[in-house]
Amino acid sequence: MEGSIVIAAKLIGAGLAMIGAIGAGAGIGIVVSGAVQAMGRNPDVTGTIQTNMILGIAFAEAVAIYCLVVALLILFVVGN
Amino acid sequence: MEQTEKKTGWRWGVHRWWVLAFIIIGFYAAKAYPPIQPHIQLPAENVFETGLTFFGQPFYITNTILAMLLADVIIILIAIAIKRASMNPDALPKGISGAVEGLLEGLYNLTEGTAGKWTKFIFPVFATITLSVLVWNWTELIPGVDSIGWLEPAHGEVHGFEKEELWSGFYTIVESDEAVVADDVHAEDSHEASNGYLIVPFIRVASTDLNFTLALAVIAVVAVQWMGFKALGPKYLTKFFNTKTLFSVPIFGVIDFAVGLLELIGEFAKILSFSFRLFGNIFAGSVLLFVIGTLVPVVAQSAFLMLEFFVGLIQAIVFGMLTMVFMSQATESHGDDH
Repeated sequence: MEGSIVIAAKLIGAGLAMIGAIGAGAGIGIVVSGAVQAMGRNPDVTGTIQTNMILGIAFAEAVAIYCLVVALLILFVVGN
Repeated sequence: MEQTEKKTGWRWGVHRWWVLAFIIIGFYAAKAYPPIQPHIQLPAENVFETGLTFFGQPFYITNTILAMLLADVIIILIAIAIKRASMNPDALPKGISGAVEGLLEGLYNLTEGTAGKWTKFIFPVFATITLSVLVWNWTELIPGVDSIGWLEPAHGEVHGFEKEELWSGFYTIVESDEAVVADDVHAEDSHEASNGYLIVPFIRVASTDLNFTLALAVIAVVAVQWMGFKALGPKYLTKFFNTKTLFSVPIFGVIDFAVGLLELIGEFAKILSFSFRLFGNIFAGSVLLFVIGTLVPVVAQSAFLMLEFFVGLIQAIVFGMLTMVFMSQATESHGDDH
């Protein structure tokens, strides 16, 4: 039974680590919103905008991925 | 248009009955042997012992190495098929060679739009990374990956499962309450015998190994530096050690120098973000597939396999495209205009 509080703390910690995904979600939303508006205004440069949009999404997503890696480390590596 | 619409009535296709048969078989299989959530482990498992040593450490063949070799064999087979299809120059590319040709054409146009005259140096790196990461990610979708392997006794604090004989010499693991209870009762004296068994899969997706993605990221970043030196020569180093205005401009020279050092740190941050992005996405995807397969074993998994299909594609394209854009940024001379 003495291990259960450790497990609970690990689960809470992993959940708290994933809070950082909020920022990435908002960031990706802003990026795609701007890109879609630009594409609607000027459809001829869709290809360039799409490339830069995917790059921006990848950079914004990286932050969420760091949170995910930290959460996975807490869940599966720390204390096992 | 009207002629094709007339033909679309009920057809006795073959594939839909295969799908239906697999769904029914899957339903009965899930009833007979309920799927259990596998033990999720971050480092790759050792499958074969080679007996060799590497810097004093024993060298094992891990299951991610096997997955990488399997994907490499698939890539080579695709290359042979395309080579055979291109022997006949009159024939239109169709099937897998047509698909790869379309993909490569898209990638080439993308590179040409970004890199300009350096396309012939950047495109091979870009296409190689994209195609190989694509196949490496998609090995996740092959049935039997992550689920067929050696049966090994669990040790440590990990709870294993009961084994049950399926065939002569082939076992499956089943959920059993008695194993857990027995483990709790005499955990101290004989925990190895009562701890149950775990599956060590033969093949686990290569991208779920941090060593693998880190190696790939190092290759990509080294290619970026190579491209910079090829395009600019030794002048490329002034991007990082910007001594041009250090003594001529009073305060902003020092700031420029500090910005150059930050760029140098940014190159190392690129390695981290490359490797963590691929690893995090694909590992989280395989954990998602484990959990969904345990919770809803019959139909719902297909939707998540489709999701993983797209995640693998997008991550391969993002990895390749970031490499391409960094390489074309490295070819641009930095300090000419200011």
